[in-house]
Amino acid sequence: MSKHSAPLSRRAFLRRTAALAALPAIVPVSVFGRNGAVPPSERIILGGLGVGRRGSHVLFNWMLKEPDVQFVAICDPQKSRREQVKQRVDTHYGNKDCAIYSNTPQFLAERTDIDAVLSTTGDRWHALAAIMTMRSGKDIYSEKPSCMTIAEGQAVVETAKRYRRIYQSGIQRLSEGNFTFANELLRLGYLGEVHTVRAHIAPWDAAEMRHDWLPGEPLPPKDEVDWDAWLGPCPWRPYNPTYCRGGWRGFYDFHTSCIGEWGAHTFAQCHVALGLADTSPVEYGYVNNESGDGMVVRFANGIKMVLERDKENKIWHGSCGVRYEGTEGWVAIADGYSQCEVSNPAWMQDFKKIVGDYMARTQRPMSHVRNLFDCIKSRRQTVANPVMMHRSMSTVHAANICMWLKRDLQYDPVKEEFVNDEEANRFRSRAMREPWII
Amino acid sequence: MLKSRLHVVVLVALLLAGAARSPAQTVAAREDQGKLIAVLKSNDASRKDKADACRQLAIIGTTDAIAPLAALLADEELSHMARYALEPLPGPAVDQVFRDALGRLQGKPLVGVIGSIGVRRDAKAVEPLKAMLMKHDAGGEVTGAIVRALGSIGNPAAADVLKTALDHAPSDGQLALYEGAFRCAERLAAEGRRDEAIGLYDALRELDAPHQVRAGALRGAILARGRNGLSLLREYLKSDDYILFSAAVQTAQEMPGRRVTQALTADLNEMPADHRIVIIKTLSLRGDRRAPPVLFAAAKSGPAPVRVAAIEAVAEMGQASAVGVLVELIDDSDRGVSLAAKEALGALPLKEADAAVTAMFKTGQADKQVTALGLMGRRRMTGSVPTLLRAARAGNADVRPGVIKMVGELGGPDQVASLLELLSGLERPEDLAAAEQALAAVCTKSDDPQSHSAALIRALNRGKSAQKTVLVRVLGSVSGPEALKAVRAAVDSDDADVRMAAIRALGTWKTADAAPLLLTLAKETGDQNEKTLFLRRYLAMAGRRDLPAGQRLSMCRQVADMVRRDDERRMLLAALGNIDLPEAMTLIVGYLDSGTRQEAVMAALRVAQDLLKRRDASKYAAKLIEPLEKVTQADTNEALNKRARALLRQARNRAGN
Repeated sequence: MSKHSAPLSRRAFLRRTAALAALPAIVPVSVFGRNGAVPPSERIILGGLGVGRRGSHVLFNWMLKEPDVQFVAICDPQKSRREQVKQRVDTHYGNKDCAIYSNTPQFLAERTDIDAVLSTTGDRWHALAAIMTMRSGKDIYSEKPSCMTIAEGQAVVETAKRYRRIYQSGIQRLSEGNFTFANELLRLGYLGEVHTVRAHIAPWDAAEMRHDWLPGEPLPPKDEVDWDAWLGPCPWRPYNPTYCRGGWRGFYDFHTSCIGEWGAHTFAQCHVALGLADTSPVEYGYVNNESGDGMVVRFANGIKMVLERDKENKIWHGSCGVRYEGTEGWVAIADGYSQCEVSNPAWMQDFKKIVGDYMARTQRPMSHVRNLFDCIKSRRQTVANPVMMHRSMSTVHAANICMWLKRDLQYDPVKEEFVNDEEANRFRSRAMREPWII
Repeated sequence: MLKSRLHVVVLVALLLAGAARSPAQTVAAREDQGKLIAVLKSNDASRKDKADACRQLAIIGTTDAIAPLAALLADEELSHMARYALEPLPGPAVDQVFRDALGRLQGKPLVGVIGSIGVRRDAKAVEPLKAMLMKHDAGGEVTGAIVRALGSIGNPAAADVLKTALDHAPSDGQLALYEGAFRCAERLAAEGRRDEAIGLYDALRELDAPHQVRAGALRGAILARGRNGLSLLREYLKSDDYILFSAAVQTAQEMPGRRVTQALTADLNEMPADHRIVIIKTLSLRGDRRAPPVLFAAAKSGPAPVRVAAIEAVAEMGQASAVGVLVELIDDSDRGVSLAAKEALGALPLKEADAAVTAMFKTGQADKQVTALGLMGRRRMTGSVPTLLRAARAGNADVRPGVIKMVGELGGPDQVASLLELLSGLERPEDLAAAEQALAAVCTKSDDPQSHSAALIRALNRGKSAQKTVLVRVLGSVSGPEALKAVRAAVDSDDADVRMAAIRALGTWKTADAAPLLLTLAKETGDQNEKTLFLRRYLAMAGRRDLPAGQRLSMCRQVADMVRRDDERRMLLAALGNIDLPEAMTLIVGYLDSGTRQEAVMAALRVAQDLLKRRDASKYAAKLIEPLEKVTQADTNEALNKRARALLRQARNRAGN
């Protein structure tokens, strides 16, 4: 005997069903001659978690440009930030409707009308926020690096499957034409047999991170900054406002080092380009320097990925670069390039065809947020889905662990554990601070 | 005692002080375990010191560290860090420590320990956790932690507890319990305990739970049943409840096999449009070869959004059998359907699609040829160039410009001769313009574009007026000494069109070797309009920052005497403003008293600013002072004057005055 009170109790699903019946928004509205004016009933209702500078870029420059999205509420343990977002959102809509919350569990539990969440907290919160959000029945755009440990990544994958949620990691270069072209050149065989891919890591900082505490300062009122919530699952430390202003970078508890800072993007590019988004490398070669520059990471098929700091811009002249090398040529791309650098300029004539074919073949547009919103409606996997995020971030974590232990490591991609190295395996997870346990 | 205490303080300082000075090592040496344990036991070590010791013991700790760490579990300040070290430490002794702690901890430390038990999947903890749960006095956070931990343990005993809890729990606020039940069911299914897993999933399905729980439970219930899950899938594919319908469709994405495809497509035509679209999107994702006939039917009739979704699905699947359908749909009266079909055909990576596009072109019907041309470009059908050349010679005149342009887009250097031959017979301006574009395109695709100069010049020499005009422009695109010579000769042509084309070609010449020629021509011409044109082109070249600054300055000096009109001076000043050399300033200030004072001031400020920004600015600063003083005295607006004064101060500072 079913205990259901009604087959469709959730307002959002009533709305969506009605909307889809009238006009499935995966179809361009222009087809119907409405000039892009999507009725409110068809919008994706969006909320925000920890929207700061980066999050504002994603929200205001990308998400709110989409006609079928409406942002309704912001949650942040910092008062100044949540009020700033509210002000901008209200200005955008010309009303005072954006709700504000300081408590994440309360926000997620109360706002059952919200379909999806933009989560751009600090790195320490990315996985936990994604898990809590998906558990509450919402889809999510989660900034990168999207997990702090291998175990967190696994938990994100499990939770998305468990509640059949749509998840997009903020690895937006996977939805950019130039980067897609480079990946497709590799996939389509233009480069011949690929033997080496090079992944940019941030040219500042080091793989070893800080373990010190900044000097403690008096705690502000909880309404101003909820310090316990700000720390989330990380070990406690005394309050210092520097952390809240972005000064958390470089600390072991909060960050994934120079390797994760850009590797979250570039390793993902390499995994996807090689068609290895659902597995992990098997070997990590320790390099005796501070950053991991030159580390050779090898996949089971023998292809090597080399970590490149490229401080002198010998390989790239932009950030977050990748370079793929094969028997027939090479391609390199980084931020700020007007087009890919290629060993054979004639390949560029195929740019539009290759990117267009990719979009048709995968149904993925050259817009990372649009890909998320399309998938929210079609229930298909996003381009930066949990599995590819987890696997590429596992590579980030393993490279860091290799540097911390100062020795070569072997990894079993099926068991997801280091081979015969108990110390390395202990790094796969970190006990979460109560009550922020998964 | 005092000595011992001092010893520990020094030890702590030695071990951990480094962390405050610089990035510490994440991994301590294994032999340091004893010292780290001493820190834990010390009454003098700070919270930070003990936390650091715990962090390092998390990696190198052995059974020796268990008891000292266990002693910290009840300490509200250090309980988490004790777990931080204990949780990854292998062996049953740690499990025993956590189980023992269950009875004596409360509040957050208890929540944390229960979480760690879950992470470690300690089967022996099921009974004590069950006992705590049955007391009904643990509080929300503790209860939530217990049910999640039981789920992670995921054995039949844990399943029994969770099943009982599900049967008796109130409907509100039970997300933790549902989470525990899911975890447990997943674990049981993975270990082959299918019936127990199904029992949990079915229990979850029956609840009046939030949508994500019911949807997730349906997914689990279908997948855990294996082949027998198909009937459940079929049942929910017919559901009016959109949540469960879409959950069923999404689950089908994880289920291979023909019978699943059949289930998805069985009642497709009877479904509402939204349901059909979701299924269509899943069919293409599954890539089942049996799906295309269903997709073709959906593409041909029904609501337009469904048809478009079906066409996109066809493109995604990339089946040869789709080609004919897509060709047919390009002519559909619905514009959206037609566009989608065109894009789909453009993207199909198949030779059959190429053949269909070629056939479309060969119909000779203008509208179909225009569509085919677009598709040839989209598909990069380089093999179609011979067909296009034939059509350009003898085909439909209405589409000829498009055809010729497509030869340029798809062709390469091999087509230079053919295009020159074609050009010789063209008369209509639109055809000639297309030929110019195509010739320039194929020549510049060559590794050495100038290698085509000879062929172009031969054609130029024997061509008629219209062809000469085209070829002069193409030579401008190719550039090089031979081309320059030929274009220079064309400047002397009696034909006004050819002459003007040559002048314009010189003005946009890619390399600076055209500059002297432009200057000479400017000096020699008696026509003021032509002089202005030559000067404009010359000065545009002098403003190009890709040329060395010294060369550009020299070019400006050479032309300075010829510049008399205000519009010419403005061009000169614009060029000078781009030259970051102090000598440029000297030239510029010469125009402060002219009718172009404002432009001179702006040019001077730009040069000064560029120079003063440089690292070696002190080298130039002294030379800037006098010109800048003149600039500050010029009769200009307040904003510019303010900038001038600021730069003058800056120059004096950098010069050490």
